[in-house]
Amino acid sequence: MKKSARPILLLGFALPLLAACAGGRQVQNDEYGTDNARELTLRQTGATTAGIVVFGVDRSRQAQDAAQGGGGMTVNAFLWRASLDTLSFMPLASADPFGGVIITDWYSPPQADGERFKATAFVIGRQLRSDGVRVQVFRQIQRGNQWVDAPASTATNSEMEDRVLARARELRSQSAGTSR
Amino acid sequence: MRKILLGTTAVVSAVVGGAMMAPQASAQTAPTVRIGGSFQALYGYTNQTSQQSITSSGLPTGVGGGSVFVPAGTPTVLGSNVVGATNIARLGKHDISSNASVDVIVNGKLANGLTYGANISINGNALEGRGLGSANRSNPGKTSMQIDEMYAFIAHPRFGQVRMGDEDGVMGGLMNSGFVAGFGTGGVHGAWEGFVGRQGGGRTTTAPGGLGDASKILYMSPQFAGFDFGASFAPNFNSGQGNGCPNDSASSFCDRAIAFSGARSAGIPSAGSDFAARRNEYQIAARWRGNVAGVGIAGTVGYIGAGAARDLTANGQQFRVLNDLNIWQAGVQASFAGFTLGAAYTYGDFNFFWGNTVRGDRPAEQLYVGGQYVAGPITVGANFVTGLFEGGNRTSFAENAAGTTLTAGQARPAAFNPVTGVGANSLAGQRRWGMGIGANYRLAPGMDLIAEYVHYSVREQGRDLDGNRPGIQSRSFANIFLTGVRLAF
Repeated sequence: MKKSARPILLLGFALPLLAACAGGRQVQNDEYGTDNARELTLRQTGATTAGIVVFGVDRSRQAQDAAQGGGGMTVNAFLWRASLDTLSFMPLASADPFGGVIITDWYSPPQADGERFKATAFVIGRQLRSDGVRVQVFRQIQRGNQWVDAPASTATNSEMEDRVLARARELRSQSAGTSR
Repeated sequence: MRKILLGTTAVVSAVVGGAMMAPQASAQTAPTVRIGGSFQALYGYTNQTSQQSITSSGLPTGVGGGSVFVPAGTPTVLGSNVVGATNIARLGKHDISSNASVDVIVNGKLANGLTYGANISINGNALEGRGLGSANRSNPGKTSMQIDEMYAFIAHPRFGQVRMGDEDGVMGGLMNSGFVAGFGTGGVHGAWEGFVGRQGGGRTTTAPGGLGDASKILYMSPQFAGFDFGASFAPNFNSGQGNGCPNDSASSFCDRAIAFSGARSAGIPSAGSDFAARRNEYQIAARWRGNVAGVGIAGTVGYIGAGAARDLTANGQQFRVLNDLNIWQAGVQASFAGFTLGAAYTYGDFNFFWGNTVRGDRPAEQLYVGGQYVAGPITVGANFVTGLFEGGNRTSFAENAAGTTLTAGQARPAAFNPVTGVGANSLAGQRRWGMGIGANYRLAPGMDLIAEYVHYSVREQGRDLDGNRPGIQSRSFANIFLTGVRLAF
């Protein structure tokens, strides 16, 4: 090795130490060039697949399925679907299929002027069970120009839950029927 | 008490863990093992010089390869090598080539943010030609699978990444900039090389990845203010596990050979067998990437250095007959609104196979320019490479009868002494240039239809680049049109 190379090599050894001192951004593997036949083709053809997972959890597929509303959910699909169906008469503010949370926006039924409702549904677990869904309904009434909180009747929550469960049963029997 | 204890632990972990190991909270995940791969099938129409063996004088100088499988002699006896036989073969223009690779990819992540994994790539394109010895059933077929890259990596968000295994170096493709080849099969560095015969050496082997996957260790830093750095080291040219020695003797084939008889002709890697005189190859790279007024810019400056095994005389004297690899490269590319333009300039002591040059050879220089445009499912692009490399009028070495010294049989200019290294370098040069244009249509994500045209030309005044034709052919060229399909999964 030539003598002139030594300072360069020393620099090479110093780099990790330097790296440890200042905060840097981690460079991901796909930011490096490659001579690998698969990787080259993958990058050139814009493939979205990440191969076939033979061991471990396929996170990329989970994300894909979630994007398509497919089978990668962590909560029971029937309960989830039924909750969406049941609450669909209200405008949805957010729906997270991984956490199983549906939050609606405030909604004022046409027959109840000066009164508005908001609902939150939690779908718990993968099993289709009667305690697999919790619905909380919030109510506000209009006082002058202001909305103020008002208690919703406790029966409303369990009534909504029953509606969800009934719809879930319906969906399940439908899907069982089609799969035969 | 418990509260205090918890508080202390939290402080300790904040100081030690936060500073040393856990810059970001992340969930530990079990490693995933994936199987992926790629496939490509191409039709190629090839029109090149050297499509006929008339005088059959063997292989042109500097291209290398064994003589036993040179197709020569009477056509009915395969593999025999009758010197002086004439009119051996004519090549047509049509061919279809296919290649597949299967990759095993392992990825894992620890709770402290450390990621790790391995990549094993099994490739079907290892053999370029076929071996046909008489009565030889042991030759592998042309589709034999062989390991291409295989390496493990450990990456830390703060310390960067270490890779170890058979992988390209940081300037051998990992961190280079300016090589725009995301269209067709890569244009001038693409799949056309699988269609042309090597007569005349009409191939571009100076693509970054052509440096080879010699077993090495790499370090690549995190990115600071747009900059990241890398370094890699390979003790020798070989890859894989074995020591390379074909028998119990120490020989030139052993990976660890530092001096051997005949090193003078091992500067250019021999075809297919990971054999070359290159030793202690190290590469360093500095790359900057960022966004300047909406234009994505990447630039890299890097250096590739390597020593070479010395030649050994019968009497045990060692002579330095090959130059060290001593290569600088700077490249830059810019992307805007679907357009990518890039250029890279390489200068130093190397030849067109990334081999060590012979002492007295001129240094090489190469310029690469490329551009591509992506519009929806269609990509079009073109690239161009031109370079000046050492020519055929090189220093040759001969051992004296006593085996005590090597003498230079030919030195250019005469003032240069290849044994002492004193004097001016030879100016004999070979001009090589090539261009490729290509287009892809994305049929589906992961599947492209491809059309591409490449022209490649080699010129060297006064040197016969096609020994199989009468007269002096000082120019050799190839035109290839190819079309087909590429798929990754």
